[in-house]
Amino acid sequence: MKKRRYGMVIDLDRCTGCGACSVACAAENNVPPAAPRATERTGITPLRVQPVSNGASGPARREVFIPLMCMQCGEHTPCVSVCPQQAVEVDSATGIVTQMPQRCLGCRYCMTACPYHARYFNWWDPEWPAGMEKTLNPGVATRMRGVVEKCNLCHSRLHAAEDKAAAANQREVNPADYVPACVEACPTGAILFGDLADETSAVARAARAPQAFRLLEKLGTEPKVYYRSNRPWVRALAEPRTVPAKEVQRG
Amino acid sequence: MKPSRRNLLALGGGAMAGVVFTPLPWKLLDDTAIWTQNWPWIPQPARGPVEVKAAACSLCPHGCGLQVRMAAGFPVGVSGAPAHPVSGGALCPLAFGAHQLNWHPRRLHEVRRRGRAASWDAASMALRAAAAEGPVAVIDGRPGRGASAILRDFAGKSGAYITAPGPEERSLAPYAAWSGVPASALGYDLESARTIISFGAPLLDGWGTPGRFTRLWSTHAAGLGDPELRLIQIEPGLSHTATLAWRWVPARPGSDAALAAGLARVLVEERLVPAKGPVPATSVADAAGAAGLPADAIVELARMIAQRAPALAISVDGEPAVAALNLLLGGGIVQRRETAAPQAAAIAPRAVVIDATVPWEYEPASGAEVFRFAAWDGGGSKADWLLPAPGFLEEITEHPSAPGSAVASYALSPALMDAPADVRGAAAFVGGTPADAVLARCQEIFRARNGGLYRRGAKDAVPLASLESAARLQDELLAGAVWVDDPAGSRKVRCELKEWPAAAAGTHRGGWADAWSAPVLPPLATKLYQESNLREVPARSRI
Repeated sequence: MKKRRYGMVIDLDRCTGCGACSVACAAENNVPPAAPRATERTGITPLRVQPVSNGASGPARREVFIPLMCMQCGEHTPCVSVCPQQAVEVDSATGIVTQMPQRCLGCRYCMTACPYHARYFNWWDPEWPAGMEKTLNPGVATRMRGVVEKCNLCHSRLHAAEDKAAAANQREVNPADYVPACVEACPTGAILFGDLADETSAVARAARAPQAFRLLEKLGTEPKVYYRSNRPWVRALAEPRTVPAKEVQRG
Repeated sequence: MKPSRRNLLALGGGAMAGVVFTPLPWKLLDDTAIWTQNWPWIPQPARGPVEVKAAACSLCPHGCGLQVRMAAGFPVGVSGAPAHPVSGGALCPLAFGAHQLNWHPRRLHEVRRRGRAASWDAASMALRAAAAEGPVAVIDGRPGRGASAILRDFAGKSGAYITAPGPEERSLAPYAAWSGVPASALGYDLESARTIISFGAPLLDGWGTPGRFTRLWSTHAAGLGDPELRLIQIEPGLSHTATLAWRWVPARPGSDAALAAGLARVLVEERLVPAKGPVPATSVADAAGAAGLPADAIVELARMIAQRAPALAISVDGEPAVAALNLLLGGGIVQRRETAAPQAAAIAPRAVVIDATVPWEYEPASGAEVFRFAAWDGGGSKADWLLPAPGFLEEITEHPSAPGSAVASYALSPALMDAPADVRGAAAFVGGTPADAVLARCQEIFRARNGGLYRRGAKDAVPLASLESAARLQDELLAGAVWVDDPAGSRKVRCELKEWPAAAAGTHRGGWADAWSAPVLPPLATKLYQESNLREVPARSRI
């Protein structure tokens, strides 16, 4: 089986900030309803949508909605290098940064190391109202209190697609069989997903386009989540902030 | 050497210090992490064969096509049905957690009378007694169903059948008044428009069928400097729609009527549109003053609107002046080919029966005895009787044309799980047989032989004439097919407008939680609200 490098290109010009990806992700991955005391950081949001403005006021003001999740770093992956338990690894076959809750000790070094704040700690045991546990996705185990979790590009869907391919005696996964929940849920088709290693794939072509960019690219972690926008101010959000000369002189 | 107490202590101390440098503590910690995955109180997903079934979302009138993943007899995941002729595979965020709603803590399991447990027999007797004393009004949230016919017949005997319009129908109210066609049969021809002027309508934030305008916008407008479809949003604040629009015009709140009149004045005076109908008395300067915009900006906006025709103006409030502006621009309002719900005369009812399809916030303006059907208790109800109705995917549901759609359609959703023992719908409560009503509606469509049937996942329709019977049509619909009328069956509405309308006070500005009939949100959606700063928490019950 050839080595794959799964990734996505998110068209920020098409994102309406509806949050369908966020809810679909939580349903797919058996994320429990937020505990009453949960906050933006203590709740579990493997995929969240962040509104960011261009800083202007009046009619010139514009916002962009940026879906944020694990960026699936490919090089010098910060979370992998700090984990004392080898609970995080980059799957060499798929390029997916996997998280194994069974190994996780809950030290949260990975959360500190992640430059994208894409990791969440289970501060509470997962709880659902009586009977609602019947609606849990059988493909994904629930995580208990004390472990870290994050987006794993719907790993259970990859397993199902690989099983299907094996049953059909095929070596490669059919791209149509492996689509993460957020990609499937997006009502505007803003998220393009596929194998970046396949130069001919639509996602690889989109990632090479001049409008494509990655967040915090200067860190050299080679994220496999790309964004694209026709708007220069949106692309500039990912670039290093340059300090004006006057500020430098003032010290 | 005889071991001493000192030796024993040294050995113990050495062993304790040494064990820190062995893998043992880490192994124990690791094992503890693994063991604690399996505490008995950690919920585990049910096991069982997984299958995907077709259904339709019943929580708002748009009836988006669903693919429901079932395991061990329960729904474990919801996604949009690809190539669905109504929703095109898109869903609103709430639908992705809707399968959890039946276990919401506020689920109604028993009849309640003013907060206390009661029985169906007592409710039935109370309704009969009320009907003997005076007229009974029945309020339906989704006219056009077979069940609606039962409710209409019941109301027809001694009362009035009233429909509770959703946001799209409310925006069509002026056209209904000027054309005589009920708003429930009117729709917007969004697909033909090349410029859309939205007066506060959250077109990209839950207004209308989720997959309809968003798909048009993402294909023809998103991120383009000079898009094929221009969206101009007139709204005081920077809403989701405003920030994504081609142009955002921040007009003062409550100035929609004045601005629409000012735009109409420029369009007529500069002969940017063929002069037809009444001309507003409002001057451009007055409109500019009311809207808080420079007069030049209004003139420029009018020219921009006329530049790329056809243009369509939509008001979220049903503002008559915006509707009049739209007529000046050419209309874009169509009448679907279907039987429209009759408009009831105003009565003072002795009792009111509210169907579960009516949004929880609806309150009948009367002092009548209220019989409220609902699957969930939204709290703060003024209903005298709370009657438990089947929940999400617990009964066969009908999905007539989505409000505001340009073409008539009809779909059925099967019951994918058993309803609790003591629940029933309004149609059954008033003595009807919903199953017969569904078949009667299918017979009506089958006899007309209009349009075609889109089977699950198919892009092309099968002619209705190819089916042998109405029963076969019903079976196809229950298997996920959707009947859609021929677009040629819809016709442009003719409105008689003698004078420029006066401004109306609008109150509705809701987005995608507005048309929901359920008073609760899926717990995962409440999570979305709690943990993101995407939007404010709507006035709905949370876990």
